Amino acid sequence: MLRSNRELWWALLAVVTITAAYLGVTYAWQEVPPSSELFGHLIGVAGFILMIMTETLYSIRKRSHRARWGRMASWLRFHIFTGIVGPYMVLLHSAWNFQGLAGISLLLTVLIVLSGFIGRYIYTSVPRNVDGAEMESSQIQAQMAALQTELQVRMQAQPELAQVMPVVDREAAPGVGLIFGRAWIDWQQRRRWNQASRIISPELREQAGQLEALALRQQELRRQEASLATARRWLGLWHAVHIPLGFVLFTTAVIHSAAAFYYATLLQ
Amino acid sequence: MQSKRLGCISFSGIVAAAVTLLVLAGVSLAKGGVLYSPGDLNDVEGAELGGVRSHAETGGECKACHAAPWSGEIMSDRCLACHSDLTQNPQDFHRVMLAQAEISACQDCHTDHQGAESRLTKMDLGDFPHDGVGFSLQGHRTVSLTCSDCHGETFTTFDQATCENCHAALDLEIMQLHGQAYGTDCLACHDGVDRYGKQFDHSQLSFPLEGGHSGLECVECHASARSADDLQGTPNECAACHLEDDPHQGSMGMDCGQCHTPLDWEQVTFDHAQTGFALSGKHEGLRCEQCHTPERSVGGLGQTPTECVACHLQDDAHQGGLGTDCGQCHTPQDWMQASFDHALSAFPLEGAHAGLECGQCHLKDAEGTIFKGTPTGCYGCHLDDDPHEGRFGQDCQACHTVEGWLPASFDHSLSSFPLDGAHATVECSSCHVNDVYQGLSTQCNACHADPAYHQGLFSADCASCHNTSTWRSAQFNLAHGFPMGHGDANSCRDCHTNTLTTWTCYTCHNRGEMINKHSEEVGGNFEDCLRCHPGGQKEEGGGGEDD
Repeated sequence: MLRSNRELWWALLAVVTITAAYLGVTYAWQEVPPSSELFGHLIGVAGFILMIMTETLYSIRKRSHRARWGRMASWLRFHIFTGIVGPYMVLLHSAWNFQGLAGISLLLTVLIVLSGFIGRYIYTSVPRNVDGAEMESSQIQAQMAALQTELQVRMQAQPELAQVMPVVDREAAPGVGLIFGRAWIDWQQRRRWNQASRIISPELREQAGQLEALALRQQELRRQEASLATARRWLGLWHAVHIPLGFVLFTTAVIHSAAAFYYATLLQ
Repeated sequence: MQSKRLGCISFSGIVAAAVTLLVLAGVSLAKGGVLYSPGDLNDVEGAELGGVRSHAETGGECKACHAAPWSGEIMSDRCLACHSDLTQNPQDFHRVMLAQAEISACQDCHTDHQGAESRLTKMDLGDFPHDGVGFSLQGHRTVSLTCSDCHGETFTTFDQATCENCHAALDLEIMQLHGQAYGTDCLACHDGVDRYGKQFDHSQLSFPLEGGHSGLECVECHASARSADDLQGTPNECAACHLEDDPHQGSMGMDCGQCHTPLDWEQVTFDHAQTGFALSGKHEGLRCEQCHTPERSVGGLGQTPTECVACHLQDDAHQGGLGTDCGQCHTPQDWMQASFDHALSAFPLEGAHAGLECGQCHLKDAEGTIFKGTPTGCYGCHLDDDPHEGRFGQDCQACHTVEGWLPASFDHSLSSFPLDGAHATVECSSCHVNDVYQGLSTQCNACHADPAYHQGLFSADCASCHNTSTWRSAQFNLAHGFPMGHGDANSCRDCHTNTLTTWTCYTCHNRGEMINKHSEEVGGNFEDCLRCHPGGQKEEGGGGEDD
């Protein structure tokens, strides 16, 4: 969990740090840092730059087939990190004033962050190799066959473990539920495994754990194969919404920045 | 999956951006800048200014407050266009504030767009630059005061009675004394920096309080001050306070600091050398007034004349006889340590005179040594030394020099006996035996004894025959029985070979021949030739052709 989602932990750490600084300034100034003052400006500009990085760097990397600057997964983690921290800083920049174009921009920021979380959820429902490239159906089936062989070998070696496997090996119904409800399905599977594994002797617990991981991975592949077409359709739909939403956000943000510069600086 | 060439820049995204721009442009045209307003304008109504009673009544018209960059105005100009009453007079609070370096615009203290009921003044009154209104809060930092503690309801006004009441409560006695000394116009002197009073650091001024000044009460020097200008204008001159303390009664001038320091009147530390008249020798121990008398110090101590006679005219032992430049001979060490350069006088001391004591020439009388009028003639001093007892007159220099009496160089040609011939080279003592110069005879025989050769035949009148060049070339001019200059004879000894009373002719004439020739005539007397030749002539003897 920690390893697979470490960008989220880094983002959390950054958010906590920024929040501490924000509260410190608020305490020192005895007021919420206004958008127009140094600190408010600073976090606004920094947040906006992070948002621009979010929208551009990962997208460019995805399309740079010749120049491979780092692993795609790393860029995705950075994309997620900046996609969380940047909007958070913009939120603090607002000084909790949601009026006018600045308020619209902030609202769009919140929307696009939420959209990003949804998009990532759909994205992770599509099986991918270590480079982040989508796997074809044949590749999925090959992986499942390999896993099946491994499971059979282990269960023959430890017949006691075969008693719990039917609990895990349940077929999931294909459809949207496999995409948006997989967390629920995973949680149910894990709960059933935990109940069933109580009868397993302590000596076999470790092997049982390995067996569970193989079984869950096999089930995940089975679920992804079943929902592959649906997931791709939803991912396309998400793109159709997310990208225009991003364009609207950046258009309003640029206009907001220009207006702030015009009214707060040039018209002083 | 093949990626799109434009990446995230999709057609739908571009359309969305274009639509957004169109919507924003439409709203801006329809609603003005309201879309860009960071918040509602203040709606609290006040006096009508510029046609509105609140900022909100401008209707969100941005340019009502925000001046366009090309308009040549700034936002403060727009503020003051309506709030013109705030800066009418130079003493107006806002005019004073805008004159502060750290406050350049209205928005440094005021704001809006914070909501309809929000405060328009955003500045923290605790940080209010109170110095700008002419009274710093520096001196009041140690007490916890709020604006209303001094200003009451309106912080743009102030009643000076507040000072008096508050400080009287702190120390009534001080306030009463202070009020009596300086009045009750506190702000006339106090600007809040607490620069006045016991804590005032006088050392930051050009007049640090040192020595006797350090313990004084302010009023002792600033008695008549009634304002900060009066305090700062208190004269620094010593006489401003110490005129009546002056024991010199003004005779030393008004610049006490030339000699005295604030530490003590008695510690006089004047370096007289700075004046160009260093006090040395006998001058060192003098009291100032001994030289700087009122008469000599008219115009200030620096005007006291430095000439010796200015003070020592009455002390002049020479009674002015040697002029007024005492320094030519004397030093401040002692009158008696004189070092007169006699070379500057009409009688330079040379030779034997150089080592003499002054008193050897300059005699004393009852009033001291007499320098003036001392004769420069030799006899002035050497009358008693004259070994010639005046016989050579008084012009010693005719023979002697200042190097010594001897050697002398007498010019004998000026005497009655000029030395010529052989006399010119003889030593003086050859004639002037025993240094007798006067009264000697000029007769030859006074020095020259008659030679035995003369056999006493001649008188003492040597000069009748001799000259001073040589004895030998004498010319006998007396009666001679035989003609002088006979034959080849040219000296007496030619004939008078032995004595002047005997003679012989055979010095020249051959005796043998004469005997042969006169053998028949003279009868054998061949010695007395003059018997036959009394005139030395041959014919006188009867002869003829022979000699």
